[in-house]
Amino acid sequence: MQRWTTILFLTGLSIVLFAIITPLVLGQSPMLVGKLINASAVNDTGAANLVTAVVLAYRGLDTLGELAILFTAATAIGIILGTTDKTQTTSSPTAGFIVATAAKVLFPLLLVFALYIILHGHLTPGGGFQGGAVLAAAFFLLTLADSGNNIKHKVTQVIEALAGTAFIVLGLVSFALQGVFLQPWLDKGELGSLFSAGSLPLLYLALGLKVGAELANLLSSLANVEK
Amino acid sequence: MMIWDDIFLEVDFWINIVSIALIVIGIYGIVFSQHLLRMVFGLGLLEAGVNILLVKAGYQKEAIAPIVTQASDTMMSNILAATAQMVDPVPQAMVLTAIVIAAGVQALALSLVIRIYKKYGTLDSHVLFLAMERDRHLSLNQKD
Amino acid sequence: MQLIGDIFFLSGTIFLFLGALGLIRMPDVYNRIQAGTKAVTLGSILTLMGIFFYFPQWWGHLCLIILFLLFTNPVSSSALARAFYRNGISVWTKTK
Repeated sequence: MQRWTTILFLTGLSIVLFAIITPLVLGQSPMLVGKLINASAVNDTGAANLVTAVVLAYRGLDTLGELAILFTAATAIGIILGTTDKTQTTSSPTAGFIVATAAKVLFPLLLVFALYIILHGHLTPGGGFQGGAVLAAAFFLLTLADSGNNIKHKVTQVIEALAGTAFIVLGLVSFALQGVFLQPWLDKGELGSLFSAGSLPLLYLALGLKVGAELANLLSSLANVEK
Repeated sequence: MMIWDDIFLEVDFWINIVSIALIVIGIYGIVFSQHLLRMVFGLGLLEAGVNILLVKAGYQKEAIAPIVTQASDTMMSNILAATAQMVDPVPQAMVLTAIVIAAGVQALALSLVIRIYKKYGTLDSHVLFLAMERDRHLSLNQKD
Repeated sequence: MQLIGDIFFLSGTIFLFLGALGLIRMPDVYNRIQAGTKAVTLGSILTLMGIFFYFPQWWGHLCLIILFLLFTNPVSSSALARAFYRNGISVWTKTK
């Protein structure tokens, strides 16, 4: 009996969803805001990647709120799991020779790749969030390879706090100069070069460091749960 | 041109099918499974389906990715002609936001699952319900 | 030129499909790791070589990606197998 009600519910749900989605035909979206942004984004921000222009310039406040959500999640996980730095008592086995060697080779590559993604966020696909995730993975790989060298919670907390402060300070400087919070304010430079798009790369750098520190903190507290 | 339109409609249909299948499987996992970890995975599938729909909503016919690649072309009119053919960047930025928040939500859910497993030793929702009811009655009796 | 690329794509997707099938059909964890690593690595490399016949100017990127795949996939699978072995998951010994 329950099986048939399940099938009935799921079929009805998919029919309703299909009826809602079908009018939205692929390739014929009205693009009411998108056309305006496409026309003016290069002039306004100087970023070659228009998604970056939307994320950091047009919807900068949303990104700040998103950072707040991520911070809340990381803090809540710290409270739920408890940050007990008792790694020497719970001696988990080492990961073995293969993973340790691979971690040594991969760590600098991952670090360079993460910084490349973060610093080229205004030119190529990528940016602070993606690069921050790679950064956290690079540092967590060392922890995986050798459980002795753990991610220091105090260091990551300091980096996170400084990066978050830098993001807000960049916004406040824009407020002092132009009267609008979180508007791009430095010289726009030449389109497509590394030092262009004003303050957007600085914002992405702060964001990438903050996301990387937060995710590293989160991964290490998930890994350090007492068995 | 006619054939291209037909292919386009076909692609549209299959994107709809895939995203709706992901959403329905995710809701099935959240609502009908007894294992808490499967509920978390269902949440992930649901988010993936919704993200596919959002990216699809910004697509324009014969459009390119929203990145200016002709960097040497400093002529403003050339850049404007290039950006006029680009897809909508707003849904892509929304999906970027959604993915990051989904990561936070899933990490929080996983940590809750770990905590529950440490306290009760099981992840079956029916067994957990009985165990939690028993605990509640015990604490009520202690208060009296 | 593009026909050769298509043949590479087809064989690559066949290997990827066999890897996915192996993940479902194999009897125990270690056999599944075999299917999930070897077949998928070969499938991805063949697909990347197919891309080379479509866009020959991308050979540098493709070589880097293939090298990276060849380096990381065996490491991750060996780490998984080691974790399963240390947690005492036994090897499937029955034969039908």
